[in-house]
Amino acid sequence: MNIKSKHRLTLEGKKAITGYMFIAPFLVGLFVFFIYPLIQSIIFSFHDLEVTATGYKLTYAGLNNFRRAFFVDPDFRRILVESITQMITDVPLIVMFSFFAATLLNQEFKGRAFARAVFFLPVILTSGVIVAIENSDMLLNMARSSFEEEATTGAAASVVQALELRRLLMQTRLDPRFIGYITGAIDNIYQVVTASGVQILVFLAGLQTISPSLYEAAIVEGATGWEKFWKITFPMISPLILVNVVYSIIDSFTRPTNQVMQMIMDAAFRQSSYGYSSAIAWVYFIAIMLILGIAVGIISRWVFYQE
Amino acid sequence: MAKTKAKARRRKPNRSLGGDITNIVIVRNPSLENFQDLFILMQQSWVPFSRYILNTVFITAVGTVGHVIVASMAAYVLAKHKFPGRVLFFNIVVLSLMFSYHVTAIPSYLTMSFLGWIDTYYAIIVPQLAYSLGLFLMKQFMEQIPDSLLEAARIDGASEFRVFWQIAMPTVKPAWLTLVIFVFQNLWNTTGGTYIYREELKTLPYALQQILAGGIARAGVAAAVALLMMSVPITLFIITQSNIIQTMTTSGIKE
Repeated sequence: MNIKSKHRLTLEGKKAITGYMFIAPFLVGLFVFFIYPLIQSIIFSFHDLEVTATGYKLTYAGLNNFRRAFFVDPDFRRILVESITQMITDVPLIVMFSFFAATLLNQEFKGRAFARAVFFLPVILTSGVIVAIENSDMLLNMARSSFEEEATTGAAASVVQALELRRLLMQTRLDPRFIGYITGAIDNIYQVVTASGVQILVFLAGLQTISPSLYEAAIVEGATGWEKFWKITFPMISPLILVNVVYSIIDSFTRPTNQVMQMIMDAAFRQSSYGYSSAIAWVYFIAIMLILGIAVGIISRWVFYQE
Repeated sequence: MAKTKAKARRRKPNRSLGGDITNIVIVRNPSLENFQDLFILMQQSWVPFSRYILNTVFITAVGTVGHVIVASMAAYVLAKHKFPGRVLFFNIVVLSLMFSYHVTAIPSYLTMSFLGWIDTYYAIIVPQLAYSLGLFLMKQFMEQIPDSLLEAARIDGASEFRVFWQIAMPTVKPAWLTLVIFVFQNLWNTTGGTYIYREELKTLPYALQQILAGGIARAGVAAAVALLMMSVPITLFIITQSNIIQTMTTSGIKE
């Protein structure tokens, strides 16, 4: 390799130049619209920001904003831990469910496009003006509150269901924590389905790029469906498992309903203490970064890339 | 039996607000009045309503096509070229995924204002071009293209852009069709937020939100609006999904 690269230095150089040319438009956008504002927000997090008539004024506050987050604010630490535990329970469920749904939706059947649209509907319904309409819809809100009322008063029914399942699982002598996780997943099924629209589509696209010739060869060799799944589908889709884990983690942390996100926005736009808001945002993002780093590190080990 | 039940239900209108599924599924007194009201409201808007539609269509079309091309190009070289700084760039992209736009709202506004892009389409379209999720997604798909396929094209004398456009892109068609849906969905719903103040540049979702500001009296119109807004992404979704056929990433290669 070394000898080769010495001889081909000009080719390597040429390749690097095309590389930079292809990536330049994206990078310029990224730096101007993400990285620069990001650096600004680091600076803000060490200051108190005051809006004045001509713009804004920064007063240096040192670590005060961070100190306030950890030692003064009564909610921040609790909410941070809560939203991390929530993420850790949700993400595996979402990824597994969306993989399962995508495998089903990839089969040949009539009305396949329609079935896919049904799974994608939550993504359309929970964005933009439609969600605003839903929130302002009096009828829907009334229906929702009466439904919630029923859910609390009629809680007996759902508890019984979970109990039945729990009893069944208990008989299998599994770890009680694992059983708790499964029954919890069933109680949360609505959230899991609504959060997996994007992931299902990504998996579907992945399943469609797997060449049928691989399966044909496997069938000729006498592979069973089980073997085909684990030996072809699973390795071929593994890069997208990484994508979806990363996406789900980020989506779970940054969706506007997330409690920490609400705190950040609240601090910035309602209490107008932008410095404090930037500080908690940074603490939060460093936490996300660590979790993401660990997850990516673990998953990348067994992701299979075609040579 | 069923009839008397239905009658009994009709006498108690309060029940229809919760619980009973038949009251939600079966439409009583169907009418298109809500749509008529919507069109009347549209005619009363300050600038011609078609202007809002044009704005949204323009932003969505340019932004979607632009993003798919820009992100795919970047993804192609990140996946298939070796050049210094490649890993670093990719890590920056993954990191930038994490930052929700709310957090950088004020610095972003300052940047736009510095560039003089307030009240222009650029303020909405250009940041969307550098949306990191698209790059990340495309990069993972591009990794799956066999190098020998690209080598073959290069040996036949194709330029790097041609390899990208005629070999790499068709092989990952399901990927970018999916990306089209995501980006379309984002842009279609954009209200212009804090960047657009001139009435004639405002977008369709903004105009519809204004219609909804009428409150409870416009609940019916609101539902009509929701239906119209939803129908476009759903149609696009069904069209793209039925266009996706198995592309053969690995076929055409004989080892």
